[in-house]
Amino acid sequence: MAAVQGDATDEMLMVRYQRGERKAFVELVRRHNRSIYNFVLRQLRVPSVAEDVTQDVFMRLVQNAAEFKHEARFLTWLYTIARNLCIDQLRKLSHRRHASLDQPQHGAGDQPDAQLLGDTISDPDPHVSAELNALSSEVRSSIVKAVDSLPDDQREVFLLREVANLPFRDIAEITGVGENTVKSRMRYALDRLKEALSDFEEYARALR
Amino acid sequence: MDCEKFDRIVLDLLYDELDELTTAAAKRHMEHCARCRSIGSGLRATREVGALPLVEPPEGLELRILQAEEQAAQLLPLGKRLGRGLSLLAGYAMRPQVSMAAVLMLVIGSSLFFLRAQPGDREHVLVTERGVPENDTEVVTVLPKRADAPEPPRAGAHAVTSSRGEDGAPRRDRAAEPKAAAPAPAPERFAAAPQAETGLRGGSSLGAIADDKEAEGSEANADPDSSYDAAMAAYRDGRYSEAQRRFDEIASQGGPHAANAALYGAQALRRVSGCPAAARRFEEVHTRYPGSVGSDAAWQAADCYRSLGELARARQNYEQLSADPSYKTRAKEAIAELDQRVADQELAARRASAAAASPAAAPAAKGKPAAAKPAASSK
Repeated sequence: MAAVQGDATDEMLMVRYQRGERKAFVELVRRHNRSIYNFVLRQLRVPSVAEDVTQDVFMRLVQNAAEFKHEARFLTWLYTIARNLCIDQLRKLSHRRHASLDQPQHGAGDQPDAQLLGDTISDPDPHVSAELNALSSEVRSSIVKAVDSLPDDQREVFLLREVANLPFRDIAEITGVGENTVKSRMRYALDRLKEALSDFEEYARALR
Repeated sequence: MDCEKFDRIVLDLLYDELDELTTAAAKRHMEHCARCRSIGSGLRATREVGALPLVEPPEGLELRILQAEEQAAQLLPLGKRLGRGLSLLAGYAMRPQVSMAAVLMLVIGSSLFFLRAQPGDREHVLVTERGVPENDTEVVTVLPKRADAPEPPRAGAHAVTSSRGEDGAPRRDRAAEPKAAAPAPAPERFAAAPQAETGLRGGSSLGAIADDKEAEGSEANADPDSSYDAAMAAYRDGRYSEAQRRFDEIASQGGPHAANAALYGAQALRRVSGCPAAARRFEEVHTRYPGSVGSDAAWQAADCYRSLGELARARQNYEQLSADPSYKTRAKEAIAELDQRVADQELAARRASAAAASPAAAPAAKGKPAAAKPAASSK
């Protein structure tokens, strides 16, 4: 059964969950909770809030499972939910002091294991050499900062394309703008990212 | 491909969303165009270097989501739970094996439905025959005139022959109906009626009709048919008093022969007591039995009135019969005849008065009224 579910598409799993198969929902969570969490995290930039919002995304899926149409694309539907929840959360956060990258993740700055978000992102890959790891950590930090500095509309498109790996057509459907507008925003985002990473050409060549 | 088009598709090329032909065209263009090659390679390098590092979600997030889902499923409204159950059942119902089983059951069921009512399945069939079917090829046999046969009823009376239809009701045989204006050998045709009638009822002939004793002996347990036959036998044998009594009994009891019995009873009464008594009886039959029997009675009554010299009442009956299609022609002829008769009487009366005024013409005038007397007799 697990093998069958592993081969099944998201849409098939969703239909099965509509029929009451809870295992299908478990499989969907395992497939997409990581990308959803990262999308929400990059949008909201507060890990604790991102965690709650990620849970809310899947709860919305549970509550509205009956409304899912078989001909619809599951990821488009799921990220539409995530985007709407992020927008709601950003409105709430705009009234409060935003959590910064320097703020401890769990709000316990005096804890010895408290970890900064930048440090979490820039965790070195153990399979890469020490020199590359050092460079990689710096590159990753720059990438995160460059992405965070993107305008909201460009960052949204960038994340949907890079994190969710959605085609431009689906991104246009989620964001409610034309496909050419989506591509234009993506192009601007990549140009800004290229400018931010211009100092790391050596690293890029090393990766090739 | 030119640079302008390349700029439009460069992102699709970067994320492999182009078809093979366009991808090949873009790559060929990049080989010859340094600008586009630089743009393409720069974007590709940026994407490779700038791949956003994904963060692992916190431990326990997945477990929390699943626990929350379990709690939410328990709190689902009844309607949604039923809908989910229905959807589950529908999912099973839509499976091919279930569909095939349903089709198979439908085929078997329809086959049983069509096979269950085959006639051969019944071993015993109970058939009850009721009544005698009407014979469309009825043949009226004309018997030779009997020397002792009574005088038949006058025009119209013998026309009422009863043959039984499917419903057992008497049916008037129009084929044997005579023309009133053209007197036919009435005794022969009158004898034909019972022949046809008895022929339909089992083949008994006129000569085999039971005599009075037999008829009376079986009267107690006789059915309407046998009673009617006995009455007809008495009538044909000239036993009019007995026939009248029998016909009156049948008419009073009602039944399929009541109308004809009433008419024959009136005719028998005419034989016994003459037109003064029978005319009123004919009128009663005419009033009581509308239709062909009533029309026959009206005709007979008019005939009696003519015999009695009550030409006005006779004419009134004929006028009523003019509305009956079967009597229309005869009634008009009878009215014309009556009118002619009245005119003759008036002419004779004028001549008689003229003769009385002239003594010389008196002997000649004496024979005129006699010629103007009605030819028909009441008996």
